[in-house]
Amino acid sequence: MNGVGLHKKLEENTGLLIFGILLVSAIGGLVQILPSLFQDSLMTPGENTRVYAPLELVGRDLYIREACSTCHSQQIRSILAEVERYGPYSRSSEFVYDRPFLWGSKRTGPDLHRIGGKYTDVWHEIHLTDPRAVVPDSIMPAYPWLAEREAGADGDIVAKLTALRTLGHPYTDEDIAGADAALEGMTELDAIIAYLQMLGTAFGREEAP
Amino acid sequence: MSETAEYYRDRVVTALVMFSIIWAVLGMLAGVYVAAELVWPQLDFGQPWLSYGRLRTLHTNGIVFGFGVSALMATAFYSVQRTSHVPLFAPRLAWVVCYAWQLVVLVGGISLLMGVNASKEYAELEWPFDIAITLAWVGFAVVFFGTIATRRIKPIYVSNWFYGGLIIVIAMLHIVNSLAIPVTLTKSYSLFPGAQDAIVQWWYGHNAVGFLLTGGFLGMMYYFLPKQAERPIWSYRLSIVAFWAFTYSYIWAGPHHLHYNAIPEWVQSLGMVMSLILLAPSWATMINGIMTVSTASEKLKTDPALKFIVLALAFYGLATFEGPMMAIRSVNVISHFTEWTIGHVHSGALGWNALITFGTFYFMVPRLAGRPLHSVKLANIHFWLALAGVMLYILAMWGAGVSQGLLWLSLDELGELRFSFTDIMASTAPYYLLRLVGGTIFLAGAVLMAFNLYMTMAGQATVRVSPPSVAAGEAAA
Amino acid sequence: MADLPSDFWAGWITVLTVVSFLGLAWLVFSVYFSANGHADEDSPVWDETLREGSNPAPMWWFWMILALMVLSVVYLMLYPGLGSYSGALRWSQGGRLDESFATYAQEFEATRRLVLAAPFETLHDDERVMESAERIYEQNCAACHGPTGAGQAANFPNIVDDDWQWGGTPEQVEQTLRAGRQAVMPGLAAVLDEATISAVAQHVIAMQSGAEVAAGDPGQTAYATYCSACHGADGSGNTLLGAPNIVDDTAVYGNSVETIATTIANGRFGIMPPFAERLDDAQIHMLVAWLTRDSSP
Repeated sequence: MNGVGLHKKLEENTGLLIFGILLVSAIGGLVQILPSLFQDSLMTPGENTRVYAPLELVGRDLYIREACSTCHSQQIRSILAEVERYGPYSRSSEFVYDRPFLWGSKRTGPDLHRIGGKYTDVWHEIHLTDPRAVVPDSIMPAYPWLAEREAGADGDIVAKLTALRTLGHPYTDEDIAGADAALEGMTELDAIIAYLQMLGTAFGREEAP
Repeated sequence: MSETAEYYRDRVVTALVMFSIIWAVLGMLAGVYVAAELVWPQLDFGQPWLSYGRLRTLHTNGIVFGFGVSALMATAFYSVQRTSHVPLFAPRLAWVVCYAWQLVVLVGGISLLMGVNASKEYAELEWPFDIAITLAWVGFAVVFFGTIATRRIKPIYVSNWFYGGLIIVIAMLHIVNSLAIPVTLTKSYSLFPGAQDAIVQWWYGHNAVGFLLTGGFLGMMYYFLPKQAERPIWSYRLSIVAFWAFTYSYIWAGPHHLHYNAIPEWVQSLGMVMSLILLAPSWATMINGIMTVSTASEKLKTDPALKFIVLALAFYGLATFEGPMMAIRSVNVISHFTEWTIGHVHSGALGWNALITFGTFYFMVPRLAGRPLHSVKLANIHFWLALAGVMLYILAMWGAGVSQGLLWLSLDELGELRFSFTDIMASTAPYYLLRLVGGTIFLAGAVLMAFNLYMTMAGQATVRVSPPSVAAGEAAA
Repeated sequence: MADLPSDFWAGWITVLTVVSFLGLAWLVFSVYFSANGHADEDSPVWDETLREGSNPAPMWWFWMILALMVLSVVYLMLYPGLGSYSGALRWSQGGRLDESFATYAQEFEATRRLVLAAPFETLHDDERVMESAERIYEQNCAACHGPTGAGQAANFPNIVDDDWQWGGTPEQVEQTLRAGRQAVMPGLAAVLDEATISAVAQHVIAMQSGAEVAAGDPGQTAYATYCSACHGADGSGNTLLGAPNIVDDTAVYGNSVETIATTIANGRFGIMPPFAERLDDAQIHMLVAWLTRDSSP
């Protein structure tokens, strides 16, 4: 049967048409997604990759709340100039505790994957509260409200860690029991800085570009 | 005017058109505002909800799900009845779908401003909204496929293949990509970690563009362009090839968003070659549209609706050529992460999606209202504003993007990076200003259209019953 | 190399890709070269004028998709794509990066080695090196020390004046860049009351102007007890401890009585992060040269 003949059948039968579309559009996902879900290298943590501490996790969720990834990528491509600018390129083993991933698609601001340790906490405090105080040309928004809110205000850190443990993140009972205490006295600003300072630190720089 | 006086159920279409226009204006306003924030960052006035990250997310969601999907539902409901020769199946459900959708976009939009964000691009709404979207979408599918199943003409028209593709594929993508473990009502964690999450997200993200912003709007094109040109769609065989090759190859293209990223090379390569092949089916539809209108070109002088649709098709051709080029590994090294991407998206979103929707609205609203368009002159002014706006916008972003991409990679004589990130960022300021001007002009055009169509709708409509040409239809079947 | 979980998945990818690809080719050929479903006048009529034409699809389009598919097949034979097959070119992301670095080394390594070996005095006069060094500064240092190096935000010191908290010899500057620095000025709020702290602050201001100090001034007494060990009796500081000169006009945190009092009460813990892992030897060498050049206009 030729294509036109076959198509006559499809276009005259609602069920067949639906089935045809489902079949044809599913192939790409079956090839690209399904095997990836079983690929070890995408699920195995690196030697120094660790779960986020409660304060860092809160910081990460704040990074998501403020949609930082609309302007900042966390993905250093394996391209020379990029390695020169930002540091060793990103490895999949560094992201196994990232839900959701925050690689981003746009660099209105610089990549942040290896920002951890580059600047001091004080710099981050000033920069997040008033970016133009340290980078006069910056067009980044100021986040003055971060310093005014408590990191544990939502009271959901135990629920968060428990949910992540369900997904296989190795949090211990002590981690979870001590989570609320870990946020005690911390502001949202402290949390987001704690997150930024641990970003990309799982991969030793001397290991490879 | 009672529902029984009509053969077709068009009031839900009118409502969806109205909502779509409201979202268009609000969504574009948010876009213009975030564009201004990139020029004057102080414009958020220290308010969290006016902050760039939240407002930009509202912009994309308002445009794609408010403006775009409402327009797709409106045109799908309008055309599926007429191409099936029956009134809408389950009309009450259609109303439920209409209002449920608006509620999702409205409440979802507010949640984004409050900082409730799942962070996956074009899927930022948190899990309760994901469930609501799924339910509304099932309703959409029931109304649409129900209408087709009860049709009184044997062959299903090509526009309905594309709308069908939209409904089925978006359902599949949305459900898989949204899989997550809820923590609280406003927070969930993705079922997929890190690199796998990235692969799943771009399978979704690229195909939300593919089957919603491209496929769905191609359905619009296949109905409204030949209808307005009063010509048959040029080539049936080209339609078949275009549809199936499109549906097959588009779904693979996502990994071109992840070139040189921390995902396996084989996924990237498959994404790249399928993106290249995608050029062919994309252009097949463009050819089909252009050739259809080519024998009715005299209408282009006088008919604003047709002008919008044909210009949209030209931008569609441009964007679908640019896309495969940007998917090539070596080009992507330069274009990725830059404003070029933003320019590409907007040559699609403004040049293709918005323009064809405008043309379609200029076609539908007078028919829905039963009166001629309030002002053809205003529509023509809108046409030129839209064209000027989109051109300024994408030229600015091309300029900014290509220079960013090249400057980021540039090394000096000693092998040091030639420019700091801050220097390059500062150099894009004039482009950002130009983009703001372009976007504002485009928004002004949309406001003009809203006024024009409101004036068309306002006042007493005359009853208009348009029975189908059943005889001709069934003779052919 | 694609590290797929098993041969099964490698086969799955290859077979599904190849078979569906053939399906696409079949669709195109079959639809292009078969008769149309109907003649023009027999087209179904969907909506008034809405019909389907029987025109043939254009041949140039056929050649276009054929070319694209051939290109794709060739690409998938050369590059990794079909499951565990790594492609005739044995290309990989990591391999490409290695090649880039090899090319980079070929192009720049000799020059960079010369730069690294050159004494600072020579580099000071080498405009090209000074420009590159300034670029390294802008990319890595300007966020804290400011676009011109003049310091900023009442927290980050000026590094273009000749007052160096940790010493201004090339060796000391290099040490600062590589290993970072951490200042530890303890807060004295627990041992001094507010009035005394204020008196010490006023005494520091007085020292700056060289004014005579009355004997038994509580500020001076406290200064001698708590401050002079690090900052020196005359306030000129000690670069070995990172205790800055407090009688010159280059106060990092500000020079008002209030700011100085705050400093005394709460202490200061200024940190310079280490850059040994972020910058290579040549970069650090260039940067040291740039920082120790005579920057007076």
